Amino acid sequence: MQPVAAGVMSPFHAGVFSLVVFTILVMLFIASQLFLAAWLGEKKKSPEKSRPYECGIIPTGSARFRYPVPFYLVAIFFLIFDVEGAFIITWAVVYRKVGLPGYEQMSFFIVLLLAGLFYIWKQGGLDWRETGKRADS
Amino acid sequence: MERDRQASRFLSIADRVINWSRKYSLWPMFFGLSCCFVEEAATFTSRYDMARFGAEVMRPSPRQADLLIVSGTVFKKIAPVVLRLYEQMPEPKWVISMGSCANSGGMFDVYSVVQGVDQIIPVDVYVPGCPPRPEALLEGLVILQEKIMSTEKPSRKVFHLGGGTQGTDRPVLEIGATKSRDPRGPGYEGIPIRGTSILPGGLHWGNRSDLMWTPPARRIELSEADLALAAEMRERFGDKARLEPHSSDMLTFEVDRGSVKDVLRFLKNESKPKYKRLDDLTAIDESARRNRIWNKGLAEASSDAGAVESFSRRQPGRYPDFTVVYQLLSFDTAGRVRIKSGLEAEGGAGLPASVTDIWPSANWYEREVFDMFGIRFEGHPNLRRILMPEWWEGHPLRKDYPGRATEMAPYTLEDARKRQPMDAMEVAALDHKVPPGEREFFLNIGPHHVSTHGLLRCIAALDGETIKSLDLEIGYHHRATEKLGERQSWHQYIPYTDRNDYLAGSSLEFSYVTAVETLADIHIPERAQAVRVLLAELYRLSNHLVWMATFAHDVGAMTPNFYTFAEREMILDIIELITGGRLHAEFLRIGGLAADLPEGWKEAVDNLTAIFPRRLLEYEKLLRENPIFLARTKGIGRISLEEAMDWGVSGPNLRACGLAWDLRKKLPYSGYENYDFEVPTETAGDCYARYLVRVEEMRQSIRIIEQVVRNMPSGRHVTEDYRYAIPERREMLKDIETLIHHFVNVTRGMKIPVGEAYGATEVPRGEHGYYVVSDGLGSAYRMRVRGPGFANIQTLPIMATGESIADLISIIGSMDVILPDIDR
Repeated sequence: MQPVAAGVMSPFHAGVFSLVVFTILVMLFIASQLFLAAWLGEKKKSPEKSRPYECGIIPTGSARFRYPVPFYLVAIFFLIFDVEGAFIITWAVVYRKVGLPGYEQMSFFIVLLLAGLFYIWKQGGLDWRETGKRADS
Repeated sequence: MERDRQASRFLSIADRVINWSRKYSLWPMFFGLSCCFVEEAATFTSRYDMARFGAEVMRPSPRQADLLIVSGTVFKKIAPVVLRLYEQMPEPKWVISMGSCANSGGMFDVYSVVQGVDQIIPVDVYVPGCPPRPEALLEGLVILQEKIMSTEKPSRKVFHLGGGTQGTDRPVLEIGATKSRDPRGPGYEGIPIRGTSILPGGLHWGNRSDLMWTPPARRIELSEADLALAAEMRERFGDKARLEPHSSDMLTFEVDRGSVKDVLRFLKNESKPKYKRLDDLTAIDESARRNRIWNKGLAEASSDAGAVESFSRRQPGRYPDFTVVYQLLSFDTAGRVRIKSGLEAEGGAGLPASVTDIWPSANWYEREVFDMFGIRFEGHPNLRRILMPEWWEGHPLRKDYPGRATEMAPYTLEDARKRQPMDAMEVAALDHKVPPGEREFFLNIGPHHVSTHGLLRCIAALDGETIKSLDLEIGYHHRATEKLGERQSWHQYIPYTDRNDYLAGSSLEFSYVTAVETLADIHIPERAQAVRVLLAELYRLSNHLVWMATFAHDVGAMTPNFYTFAEREMILDIIELITGGRLHAEFLRIGGLAADLPEGWKEAVDNLTAIFPRRLLEYEKLLRENPIFLARTKGIGRISLEEAMDWGVSGPNLRACGLAWDLRKKLPYSGYENYDFEVPTETAGDCYARYLVRVEEMRQSIRIIEQVVRNMPSGRHVTEDYRYAIPERREMLKDIETLIHHFVNVTRGMKIPVGEAYGATEVPRGEHGYYVVSDGLGSAYRMRVRGPGFANIQTLPIMATGESIADLISIIGSMDVILPDIDR
């Protein structure tokens, strides 16, 4: 970076002190909002009110049961490809520095993940439904 | 001292600021109970635009709302839900009671209805009307705003200083102490309820209807095909199936209990023609029949030719305790047949056999008969109550059951806490008799839900988001309309028929008067016939516009809502011009109409027909090829034609499966045969096909309306046979005979000869029919309402099983359900 002539720009330099002040202000603001929201106003607690709302009917069964796998799978796949994104973006930042070896290693990484993706695809991991009317038609 | 004064000044300023903010940001909850909600919904659309008053958008859940508008009838079965929703709303909260039913039970002083919501939750503002117009609700809102501004002092509560007032602080009313339960208001306790003198039941010798003479009921000539079938029946079943010598409407057989099933199976599978559809299955409690408790001498003393005739034909006491009635329909010849079978309460040859293995749709019908009469069916897979809650005692349609809510113990806050709707898992276990899978999760969709279009409760067993099985729990909107028919005089019942389907108004009156006119053989002037058709078609348009808006809304398209309600208001204006009513026209009368067409009707209708097709095209552009709409509807919720016929589906839902079955074409009434129109059909049987059929129906309705306007006959609007009609006012004022008829028919009501008849018309949702049974009195002996919804909604599990939970919403939307015609 070229040194800037004195007086051209503001003398302000971001420092640790101002960051701390800013953080404290933000925290105070958030705390005040949370406090006001929690304190102001009348609250009446009753068993009916704390019951989950389910179209006006008392819910049945437990919400803690073995959830079907598609939701879980989708979450996992998202995580994997999300991490892939993190690597690729980092690589893009240092693209010039790491040069050809970096390119090769990254390509290997991407190809490997792509192979995984196609495998999942073929196995039906991306199909939302296991069965159902629409699946057979 | 000074500090106190300052504090109180601060608090009073805070009061004003808080109240001002609250007043202009009320959040009403989306909770429709019945008819009134349709007017409430109209209040939010462009013409009335409640947002102007700061009550912006309706909230779907109680957690986000602070204003509960109880719009419509509070049923005993739904009252615990109303209470829970109220209690789940955050503080502060307000309640507007909208409409006569919510205020006091209104015209529904009947066993299933709570006589005013103020018995279970506190109410701030009452809006009178049945239903109140949207302007009335706006007025109610303004009154509530004034109440907030002028009486509430919220700041002490807001700052936890003790004291202060906010939200509803009135107590819940208590019958006898703070509230009179007389539907006429306080002070009438000593006066008998109007109409008591003509009511049947008990030893009613001296009933004032007996002083009136009528010719016998209508008799039809059987067609050759009917006679051939009767001959075949005689050959096959001999004495076990007897042809009724006289009938007012259709071929009728009296069949021994043991042979009913064989006869029905024969009629469905082997006879010529085949009677493929079970139209209706119901029962009659014959225990209060007057020739069981009467004798021939008394009949002759009365001047009822029908009764005398009936006594000479039947032995006194020949009526069984109950009659089970099956009504079948043949699609090939458009013919109907009725099978009646007697049943003795004591002894006899066992229970009637269930016909669920012949028609799957009999499942609900038999449950209903069990619920209402206590008749058990042998071999029914799941015989339990369907309309009344399972804690209910007694069978309401029995003659010895009290009809009025005010004759029963009052419904209190305690009841609303105790009488909870059945647990979802229990319902599923009763319906399926198999334990739920390990991965299944039970979810209640309704009764309080934006997309169930009323008080319908679906219980979905979900695996992920796939519906593994679906159970329906109905009866939350059971307004006891059949019991009311046995109490109200023949004319007084007309307003109740409108309310059996609050989006189709006159169409329902049309079915009812058709049934009574069939029974009493009344001929209707041509002008009245044409006006009836005009009103029926206008209501069809109005209904389909609401359906289009809500269906689009269900699948995520908000825009059509705002547009289609504009044309709907235009139609309602025409209806108001002609009839004086909006939702409930109450304009048809037995024998004709209440009044002639007013001046200016033609121009108003012409304006509509001129703009409507173009507007419809515009709205269609929003949906027909919209990729989201297609993805949500095409191939979703399919039902095959075979299944639809077997389950008794009717109306556009049936036509979307490929059968051009429309009563207006197949069994024309009221001059429909003179109009040129098509019956649109589709073959896919999915949500999209149902959409296409209904949209095309709107075009056809416009065609019919244009023809009616062009060819409107001149002449009388009410029959000349004043025995059965309320005379024209002009004539009544001139002629003493007519004046007497007017006086008698308006006060005590006319009498209809002994007999029975079924009358049905094609209402927007399908075949809506009334089966009226008369014992020769001033009100019906039995009033059976055959609603298309009851049969249609029974197929919902077939359409929805295997689809995803989001598709269920789309399917319900496409079926165009309305609860009063399901639960009646």
